[in-house]
Amino acid sequence: MKKSIVGLVALGLTATFAIAAENVRLAGAGATFPAPIYKKWVAEYQKANPTVQIDYQSIGSGGGIKAITDKTVAFGATDAPLNKKEIEAMGGESKVIQFPTVGGAVVPAYNVPGLKGDLKFTGEILADIYLGKISKWNDAKIAALNPDEKLPDLAITPAYRTDGSGTTFVWTNYLATQSEGYKTAIGTGKQVKWPVGQGGKGNEGVAAVVQQTAGAIGYVEFNYAVQNKLANGLVRNAAGKFIKCSAAAVSAAGEGAVSQLKGNILAADIWNQPGEAAFPIAAFTYIVVHADLASVKSADEAKALTGFLKWTLTDGQKLAGEMDYAPLSASVATKSLDALNNAKFGGK
Amino acid sequence: MSGLSMETATAATLAGSPRPARHRPPASGISRFVDSGLRWACRGAAATILLMLILPVSVLLIQAWPAVHRFGAGFLVSSEWRANELEIPVRDAAGKIIQKDGENVTTIEPPSFGALPVLYGTAVSAMLALIFAVPFSFAAALFIVRVAPKIKIAGPLSFLIEFLAAIPSLAYGLWGLFVLAPFLATTVEPALISTLGKVPFLSWMFFQDVEIAGATVRRQLPAAGRDMLCGGLVLGIMILPIITAVSRDVLKNVPRAQIEGSLAMGATWWQSCVEMLRYGRAGLFGAVMLGLARAAGETMAVTMVIGNNNQIVLSPLAPAQTMASLLANEFAEATDGLHGSALLYVALILLVMSLLFNIVARYLVVGKNSRTSGAH
Repeated sequence: MKKSIVGLVALGLTATFAIAAENVRLAGAGATFPAPIYKKWVAEYQKANPTVQIDYQSIGSGGGIKAITDKTVAFGATDAPLNKKEIEAMGGESKVIQFPTVGGAVVPAYNVPGLKGDLKFTGEILADIYLGKISKWNDAKIAALNPDEKLPDLAITPAYRTDGSGTTFVWTNYLATQSEGYKTAIGTGKQVKWPVGQGGKGNEGVAAVVQQTAGAIGYVEFNYAVQNKLANGLVRNAAGKFIKCSAAAVSAAGEGAVSQLKGNILAADIWNQPGEAAFPIAAFTYIVVHADLASVKSADEAKALTGFLKWTLTDGQKLAGEMDYAPLSASVATKSLDALNNAKFGGK
Repeated sequence: MSGLSMETATAATLAGSPRPARHRPPASGISRFVDSGLRWACRGAAATILLMLILPVSVLLIQAWPAVHRFGAGFLVSSEWRANELEIPVRDAAGKIIQKDGENVTTIEPPSFGALPVLYGTAVSAMLALIFAVPFSFAAALFIVRVAPKIKIAGPLSFLIEFLAAIPSLAYGLWGLFVLAPFLATTVEPALISTLGKVPFLSWMFFQDVEIAGATVRRQLPAAGRDMLCGGLVLGIMILPIITAVSRDVLKNVPRAQIEGSLAMGATWWQSCVEMLRYGRAGLFGAVMLGLARAAGETMAVTMVIGNNNQIVLSPLAPAQTMASLLANEFAEATDGLHGSALLYVALILLVMSLLFNIVARYLVVGKNSRTSGAH
């Protein structure tokens, strides 16, 4: 009796060790914007590959870049592509691989009572609202674009992100292309100084301001606006068409960016793109790894990491649309895969 | 039985001890070892507490040093808080933008950090909170000390007030965000705007001057609900329990002779209450200081309701920012070195300030009470 128990325990121990040896654990950290799709990817990938365990923590783009630079995670994620300083910190251009995973957009969401349909905006009007120049919803400039709507005599409350974020980065870069006055007064960045309005932390903070305040307008990520049913407006693109944001309209914006993608550090600004169907406030979100995969410890881990990342760029892309992200166009996905194929662990 | 015998044994050894004053049992090897071990453990524990104060302060100092070095004392009076670089086009003497090869010549303005807006926001929101909380607190404390015992509700009432103090600040914040702010936005502020909005010398309450590209534009403030007023109100409610509880203890310590004496001199009930407040004024001031310290350091609730805009606008209807809410908003994503360092500089100021408030309050409340009770 005693013997058989000892035997069972021994068997159990060896079994656990056997599983532990096969299991690979990987960690990723970074941007909050793609976190829902990344978590979906992880869940789906683990169904097909149960020995690979991946944990993605949405700690923000800045935190993700810091974590991959310090090699505390296997991969980092960021909304704003790495700048020169950040590339240097990782060891220079030859040591870094960065590629887009999905496209996203930032939409103007508003709370204006008594509207019949969606409002139309131009970049210039949005810039003037955030500068404080346009302060009422029945302003002549807004009324001229929306002749069918009876706009109320209501003060505008612009809402913005108080935390540094890729969303603010995209929004400010787009506005800077639309208004010279905006560019010199407020400028671009993950966090800027807004002269008027209310701040909220995270998409949920901005959404709370918009939902609670009659007359508020805020910028939020497209998928967040869809999932929380925030009214969001049409924006005039570079071709002069008013576009309502959709996954297809963001993919269209990404299409034109292939020529910008070069080398192993892929980055492309896809706001204000020329295509007729392109939504103008769009951006890619990126994953960053070390070119020598120095952030993982073994060849097994390296294999699991590249396996997962390649899957996200191929089969994983099919999941993007249903999560309200824009899948990469085939040509952009190919460039991403090419860059990823240059990742070598221990020279292999 | 064994307990009794040990007691007698101890008494016997004490009586026979050569140094009875120090109550020391005869030194066997082990007990001396245990003794000195315990003594060192106590010293260690006491030192740990001291270390727990010194370590964070020194870490803060080290991390904040780049910003302290860069901005110095000017940090306290600068109102620019901008984490991004600005590209400013260079203008010639006539004010025309200089162009070279068809592109504007620009200079890069580096990020700049100044704490004046958050110092202002902290001071004003805390003052508003005191204005709302102090009259209620003193009245409630007087009620508990002088009225409630007669109708036998002093116990439950005291318990309720202490219970209020134990509610997490997030609960107050959520209440402020989902109940108070919408109420202010839809009812109170529109009423204020429609009644006082036309009064000429009150226009500062309803307008904000915005500087756009060198020109100043007067802009009406929307009734948004999340603003300095809302922040002050929520803070006021949050510091009410602590001020009430401390004032109650201070008033309880007013000697009976003082009250009875004033009544004997022909003072009315109300006049004797005033006499009580006057007698306990140092302690009451300490209670207010404790409330002020809590209001200045309060974070999550304020972040949710104050509107989070780093600006100085006189109107209580304008969104503002406090030191603590600035840290809550920006710290997690402040990866750029100077930005993070500037935030820690703010944290350092906040820490020193709360420390001062607490020291003054403690001196006034504890010091005064021990002196009055010592006089009896």
